[in-house]
Amino acid sequence: MSLFLVNLLLALSWSAVTGSFSFLNFAFGFLLAIFALSLIREQVGSVGYFSRARRVLSLLVLFVYELVLSAWRVAVMVLSPNMNLKPGIFAYPLRVDRDFEITMLANLITLTPGTLSVDVSDDRRILYVHAIDASDPEAARRDIAEGFERKIMEAFR
Amino acid sequence: MISVAAIFDSAVTLALAILSLSFLVTIYRIVKGPTLPDRILGLDMLVAIAIGFIAVIGIKTGYTLYVDVAIALGLVGFLATVAFARFVLSRGKTEDDIITEARQAAAAARKAALSAGPDAKARTATAPSSGDNKISGRQDHE
Amino acid sequence: MNDVVTLISAALLVIGSVFALVASIGLLRLPDLYTRMHAASKAGTMGACLMLIALAVQANDVGTMSRALAGVVFFLLTAPVSSHLLAKAAYAVGYRLASISVMDEMKPED
Repeated sequence: MSLFLVNLLLALSWSAVTGSFSFLNFAFGFLLAIFALSLIREQVGSVGYFSRARRVLSLLVLFVYELVLSAWRVAVMVLSPNMNLKPGIFAYPLRVDRDFEITMLANLITLTPGTLSVDVSDDRRILYVHAIDASDPEAARRDIAEGFERKIMEAFR
Repeated sequence: MISVAAIFDSAVTLALAILSLSFLVTIYRIVKGPTLPDRILGLDMLVAIAIGFIAVIGIKTGYTLYVDVAIALGLVGFLATVAFARFVLSRGKTEDDIITEARQAAAAARKAALSAGPDAKARTATAPSSGDNKISGRQDHE
Repeated sequence: MNDVVTLISAALLVIGSVFALVASIGLLRLPDLYTRMHAASKAGTMGACLMLIALAVQANDVGTMSRALAGVVFFLLTAPVSSHLLAKAAYAVGYRLASISVMDEMKPED
């Protein structure tokens, strides 16, 4: 986290030196700071910082991709003349246990294809998910475990 | 060759037309919506559509203050939905529950009226005298 | 360059409004509250976000652009939370799934 602050500080000093605090210039300074930190990553021990940043970024990309896909699937399903729905609620055993991670997983599940998180059990072990196509809950559970939950665990542990 | 500006103008008009249509469809769901959460969901959807309207109007007029309005509306809409969800939770009854309760209360009242039929008739017969008593009582107090 | 930006913005506007229309049709056609929530929370969010992104693309000053993108982020953060809260409240109070539902593992055993 302190490396992120160093990164921000470098970007700020870039803005100050070039005398322009516009968003574009700041973003350019941020990129330059990332480049500078990556040059000395062996010395200051920022290897973990970079691999973590890459994993957070890959989580973000996966999220945007799934959001577009889910909106598209809902659109196709709604516009098809006979809706062949098999909705239902299935229980998903959680592997992540911190509040922040559970919140994040629940939000991501809500915004992804055909699933909507309804509730968390009191002992925080089980997430109840409403699926618009619950004909194969095992496959849905596997998708969440292999996709978002694994990425979240990689990015924040 | 159609100019880019013409394409853009027609796109804006088309977007406004589609948004108006979806606005009407959502209003239909809100009016018809069999349960309270359905209506809340419709209102949530209306906020999203209104943000779309604001974005289109902001592009059309080039008046950038609309962006702030869109952000504020989004946050207010979120708070409204959260408050409505709390209300649903604290009410603690579905529409079916309320109807069932009303039916049971009506049936109980009808049964009571039937079983107490003769008594009720007697009561109406004696009512005038009791009314007289009351009036006289009040006069006594004065 | 300017023409390309304008065309991208126009396309985003039309696609976003179509997603909003699809979401409201879904609100109309789907059988119960929970399936309707899918339509509103995904296609609806997507529509509003696309139109805000169109505004950000079209804007020619950086302040407007960053504010529009901040609006997108706010919307993406709040939409799932509000629909999750509504679903939780509705289920806790006892609004049941539509009769075509195939399973309900949340129902308390009794």
